[in-house]
Amino acid sequence: MASEIEKGTKYIPEMAQSEIDELKGSIKAASIKVIEDNIERMKKSWKNRPKAMEYFDEISNFFGRREKEIQEQKKAGKKVIGYSCIFAPIELILAAGAIPVRIGSGWYDTAKLGDRIMPVEICPIIRSTVGAKMVSLSPYLELSDAVVIPLTCDGRTKLSEILSDYKTIWLMNPPRVKDDPHTLGMWKEEIQVIKEKIEKLTGNKITRKNLKEAIETMQNATKAFRRLQDLRKGAPVINGRDAMLVNQTSLWDDIGRWTQKVNELCDELEKRVEQKEYSSYPETPRVMITGTPMIWPDSWKVPNLIEESNPQGVVVVDEQCSGDRILYDPVGVDEWTMSDMVNAISERYIMACTCPCFTSEHGNEDRINWIIDRIKEYKVDGVIYYVVRGCILYAMEYARIKRILDRMDIPVYYLDTEYTREDVGQMKTRVEAFLEMLEARVDI
Amino acid sequence: MWELISLVLLWVIAAGAVLAGTLAIWIWSRNLTRKMSLLRVFVQVIATIALFVVLLFIPLPWNPILTGLTYSIALRLTIVFVLIAVSTLVLGRFFCGWLCPYALYMDLLSRLRKALKIKYWNLPERLNNALDALRYVLLAGIIVSALVLGVLHPDVWRFVIMLMGPFKPLIIVFLTPIEPLVNQLGGTLGFEMWGTSFHDLSGTIHYFNGELLILITWLVFFAFTALSFMVRLSWCRFCPVGITLSIVNRFRAFKWLPIMHIDKVEEKCTKCGICKRVCPVQVTEVYDEKRGNVTASKCIHCFRCVEMCPYEGCLNIKFAGKKIYKSKNWLKQEEE
Repeated sequence: MASEIEKGTKYIPEMAQSEIDELKGSIKAASIKVIEDNIERMKKSWKNRPKAMEYFDEISNFFGRREKEIQEQKKAGKKVIGYSCIFAPIELILAAGAIPVRIGSGWYDTAKLGDRIMPVEICPIIRSTVGAKMVSLSPYLELSDAVVIPLTCDGRTKLSEILSDYKTIWLMNPPRVKDDPHTLGMWKEEIQVIKEKIEKLTGNKITRKNLKEAIETMQNATKAFRRLQDLRKGAPVINGRDAMLVNQTSLWDDIGRWTQKVNELCDELEKRVEQKEYSSYPETPRVMITGTPMIWPDSWKVPNLIEESNPQGVVVVDEQCSGDRILYDPVGVDEWTMSDMVNAISERYIMACTCPCFTSEHGNEDRINWIIDRIKEYKVDGVIYYVVRGCILYAMEYARIKRILDRMDIPVYYLDTEYTREDVGQMKTRVEAFLEMLEARVDI
Repeated sequence: MWELISLVLLWVIAAGAVLAGTLAIWIWSRNLTRKMSLLRVFVQVIATIALFVVLLFIPLPWNPILTGLTYSIALRLTIVFVLIAVSTLVLGRFFCGWLCPYALYMDLLSRLRKALKIKYWNLPERLNNALDALRYVLLAGIIVSALVLGVLHPDVWRFVIMLMGPFKPLIIVFLTPIEPLVNQLGGTLGFEMWGTSFHDLSGTIHYFNGELLILITWLVFFAFTALSFMVRLSWCRFCPVGITLSIVNRFRAFKWLPIMHIDKVEEKCTKCGICKRVCPVQVTEVYDEKRGNVTASKCIHCFRCVEMCPYEGCLNIKFAGKKIYKSKNWLKQEEE
């Protein structure tokens, strides 16, 4: 006998199949249109866009090549493991022969669906992910056999509950204080638990050899990633949006192929650096984005505005878990023993991360230091602090960062928005005003 | 009897060292990112050979009081001791990581352990700190025992010799288990200069010429050989030779003295913890301290942390205020 609590699903209301199909159809069509539109706009504002970018355009389509590939590999017996947050240990998933895909959702339309079961104060990324699940929109979430959800923020904590209506959910419990003497030990245990779960699901044992290979694959990806990021340090040879798209496709693409394609792109760009063939004129105000993750495709709203406005800006770097933070930190293995590899992985995923979910006795200094370092390294002219309503961790850190950046004489602009297209006009004015101010400063 | 055992063991160890060295080279050739470590082992080997030369070959032109072997060995040891003291004062514990033959031996064992994929154990931080403090106790014990023995013993010169050479017997039991290796290697390999044949040399080095002492020496030696398969650089954690910098670092007034140190840039650090994990003697200061000079007295200057730090320019080695080496994006190096 099932108890009252066990009867039925936990959160998601029952919806008629016809309604689901209809919603899915319309949202999917809209999403494809948004993706195409974004790519079109990126092409427009970068006249001689390198050919290597075409691959990323193709992969960026959720409902295209990559979905089919994963479906085929799944038929061949491979498992797909989704993850909601970059705290999930990708190396372990790869080592077990499974396919890692990130399931965080950037669809504005599904956020409205999520409103049916969640209050609007909740972070729209969560609402959108839930909404996508309600209509089975996200191919990667649908295809995944299990979902790793690190409980980094409150939204994700409850997201895991809601998703558990449909999917096997593996929770990870990251400690919030990095300096605490127990933190690393606790997190290593979590990693160990996840490792065993992955092994059980896939039926493949994670051996030393497999894991080493996986780590090396990811190190190569990091290498290519850093190569691309380093190219953005000089006069702009790549538009910020394009680089962001490249970075983000690594979350669902085959990582080996992705690495290869990024290297191809970098080869092309390095040639352009030599020929001084810039994507926008070299004095373009250099903008850094920090804050809430910007998830493809709908969240391209803001970078689109920055790079299309008049005066134009260029996003040279970001401090987001949808960009710079995905692959920047390598797993540093000292000795290729199983224990050291697992230790290295656990350290990389928690200690190197500058997520605002961490704190310490002195505040989240790691993130602030990282922002300061990026500003200096990439010669940033101004910072756009992007926060979607409900993303309280980022919103709350703003005050301190603003004070510090003010002292450094770096203009910072707090851009709060929602998962909606309605505020584009108003945001355009705000972004343009900020860029105009930056340009005036550059002139001086 | 002992000579035979020593001889056999010696060749076993020598063969082991060659094997470990070959394995190490094989690993390096596959992994070119570890250039600093490569350089370090190279310097270590050269330094070990140089120490042998100093200990055994350099001719001593004058011989005022003592005659024969005792004097020459004492003088040679004194030369080495002065070298260590001066280099430590100036460079920090550079001697430990780069010149000490015993550290080389420990490193080779580490390489062998790595090649065999044996997992290492970390000592608890408190134990590690306690071992660090043990250096002073050991040093004090050595000096006191040398004094006592010097008074008790009829031959006063032996007392002087004991104080002069930091690598001395009795002391040897605690201080350098490498000594039987060093000396007897000299003997067996036929370094017969100055009459340092196997028999004579061991007889002179072990003043007491007691088999018990030799036995204890070998036991300590093998205990630490075995231990280094579990704990990285187990000996270096309390070896009293590297004490000078400890003393210098303990007192603020002397902090300026070692002109080589590790410097950390706060802004580039994400506290990823790699420096803490790769440190073979479990120094935590490099990780814990926020910025500036992060050298600790435990640090043997192997610069593994600098080599492994994945953020360009986060950790730097400064020599007299000048950067001589900095952490790099080691992913990139692989292809060069």
